[in-house]
Amino acid sequence: MAFKYSAYTGRYLRVDLTKGEIKEVETEEWRARLYLGGNGFGTKVLWDEVPKGVDPFSPENRLILSTGPLTGTIWPTAGRLEVIGKSPLTGIYGDANSGGHFAPELKFAGYDMIIFQGKSKRPVYLWVEDGRAELRDASHLWGRGTWETERIVRQEHGDERIKVAGIGPAGENLVRFAGIITSGRAAARSGLGAVMGSKNLKCVAARGELDVEVADDEFFDYACEVQQQILSDEYTPSTSRYGTPGLVNPMNEISRFPTRNFQRGDFPYANEISGEVLEKKFLVRRTGCYACPINCGRAAIVREGPFKGTYTEGIEYETINALGARTWNRDMASIIKGDLLCDDYGLDSISTGGVIAFAMECFERGIISEKDTGGMKLEWGDPQVVLELIEKIARREGIGDVLAEGVARAAKKFGKGAEYYAMHIKGMEMSAQDPRSQQSYILAHVTSTRGADHLKGFPCIDETGYVDAAVKRYGEQYLPEIVDGLSTKYKPMVVKDGEELGAVTDSAIVCKFGTHFPPAYYWPELARGISLATGMQLDAAELKKIGERIYNLQRCFNAREGIGRKDDIQPKRIMVESGTGRATGYTAGPLLGPMLDEYYELRQWDKETGWPTRAKLEELGLKDAADELDKIAPSRRKNRW
Amino acid sequence: MAKRIVLMERPPINTCTGCRSCELACSFRHERAFNPEKSRIRVIRTEYGISYPVVCHQCSRPPCVEACPVRAITKNPESGLVYIDESLCIGCGLCIEKCPFGAITLHADKKVAIKCDLCDGDPGCVKSCPERVLALADVNIVAQRTRAAWVKFRG
Repeated sequence: MAFKYSAYTGRYLRVDLTKGEIKEVETEEWRARLYLGGNGFGTKVLWDEVPKGVDPFSPENRLILSTGPLTGTIWPTAGRLEVIGKSPLTGIYGDANSGGHFAPELKFAGYDMIIFQGKSKRPVYLWVEDGRAELRDASHLWGRGTWETERIVRQEHGDERIKVAGIGPAGENLVRFAGIITSGRAAARSGLGAVMGSKNLKCVAARGELDVEVADDEFFDYACEVQQQILSDEYTPSTSRYGTPGLVNPMNEISRFPTRNFQRGDFPYANEISGEVLEKKFLVRRTGCYACPINCGRAAIVREGPFKGTYTEGIEYETINALGARTWNRDMASIIKGDLLCDDYGLDSISTGGVIAFAMECFERGIISEKDTGGMKLEWGDPQVVLELIEKIARREGIGDVLAEGVARAAKKFGKGAEYYAMHIKGMEMSAQDPRSQQSYILAHVTSTRGADHLKGFPCIDETGYVDAAVKRYGEQYLPEIVDGLSTKYKPMVVKDGEELGAVTDSAIVCKFGTHFPPAYYWPELARGISLATGMQLDAAELKKIGERIYNLQRCFNAREGIGRKDDIQPKRIMVESGTGRATGYTAGPLLGPMLDEYYELRQWDKETGWPTRAKLEELGLKDAADELDKIAPSRRKNRW
Repeated sequence: MAKRIVLMERPPINTCTGCRSCELACSFRHERAFNPEKSRIRVIRTEYGISYPVVCHQCSRPPCVEACPVRAITKNPESGLVYIDESLCIGCGLCIEKCPFGAITLHADKKVAIKCDLCDGDPGCVKSCPERVLALADVNIVAQRTRAAWVKFRG
């Protein structure tokens, strides 16, 4: 019988790698109705199937690749893939999300989701085509980069249209921040590439010719209308033209651009690594993910110098900051080279840059010396050091073996006060959003369910001040503080709303470019789009409830692992040291406490423990989670990190 | 005027980015389902980020018309449209072999040849292209625009 809701395939795969068994399961009606897709599907699987204390690298961990109801349709930006698992970097809930063309292909191949469990004896990959799936030998792919892996798989099947999502050597070597890459697009945060590697799974290759149908024909015209809404937003043209690298200069101007391992928030040489420079000297073409009206992708090539001929499609704002300003590196060509290396080895460029900057600072301060680095001088701004460390990390060679563990573990190993320079929250390296210059981000970073992160709350309203969007979304009464980056007022409300909206966009699955930045469309449009596609008849309030349910269940997963308010803290450095430029005199410290109080209150979470209350969980239909949390009293252990 | 789907781009900024919105619009218009495999326009992505939408050029002397053994393909002398009558098509695929561009496809379920029919003058691909590089135009209009751009560039 056909699935009740349109736009789903109505089937998913459960792959037991230990037994080499593939089971086809009918997508449950309740799963779609309560958890929507993508992020929601994965969260529910993780909560149900990965109990407290499971080692992320053990066969008991799950790795979930999921699509959502909008995947494969013409809804703007509906080409994203969601990956979920317990993170080896943080030891808690982990997810990552990438663009590209893989997720729609998986849906055209007939599946809403794939759950991997167990561990294969030898390297394998999963081949999915038109409602069939099989595990194939991947020993000839093991050790190869992600680009080459894609090429070989396509050749093997003789079809250029095959889409591949997989890992490079970093994932195989269990680098704790290895990602899953599809044609240079990376689902890289949380280190789920290493989970894939721990299961001896090299990649998933998909090819499909099946239809994705929607409930109401009006969906098409409405999707085109929302596309227009995104295109006519005043901030879209610059993102289209310069991609996210276009943010380098504006973020630097407001000193929100982490530099020299967060020693400061602005980089004097930002002009040399900006979106404008990228366009002038390196751009080949603009590229886009599936069904995207923004097309922020950059195909870039280095035309001269030592990195001549280096070509990448993955260069973006975060990578430029991580491999550039964060390490004091002003050589754009080397950043492009570094981006290619990260994509090909399968590394999260944010964590990679973070851990390199951390090592450089430890070297500067004498915490580590040439004895520890195998003779390498980890000087700030040396492009060769950045590139060499990327390779060493991916191969776990020498000092790279320590850095491959992430800054939190490396700091413990180095000792001598190195912790102070480890810029992470819950074990996850911080992204390029210096919260000292945008106070809402302190809260967003600490309440993110996957550790330090800009993409959960993604509070862009107060970045440079989106007055119109702020008024439209929250009302005039919150002006002017709500759009003031240095004010903490009303930000808990904005962060909470962003987290729930984000949980839904990651489940639908669409890009946050459109819903969060630029804030071009919002709950009502998303609810109408999903309703027209699926036939569910959701209104904005019901959709928001789904987002809230997903986010609360993620928090429950973390609570079960012992996470609570004691862990919702920022790195000491940004608590103590002031920002620079507009953030001079501002730290990310004193106001976090009151913001957290207000946030927990809005969330109806216990203010002392930071755990969701029974009343809240029951309201969201999560009674089983409340029962389970009651069994384990709130942990009174000291901070995990 | 004989109109066709044309690509008007000026790389690296103003260009087809490979987002494939056109494929989805096309398949929805013709099939009421999203399925790039059933689209009459196909975006081909090659190395170095190059993407290019391949679609019927409504040729003046169409090799597909000549190749068709059952005269299912005709060219309208007035509108210029090259049209496949699906009820006559036997699905032999000779037109597909003869098309120099790969603009004709065998429909996965119906097993007949499909190609761009210009959507009665309101093409879904043009409507959905976010980069606005697809247009329904007389090819000589493209030439005129290129001439104008060239003269402007020349200064």
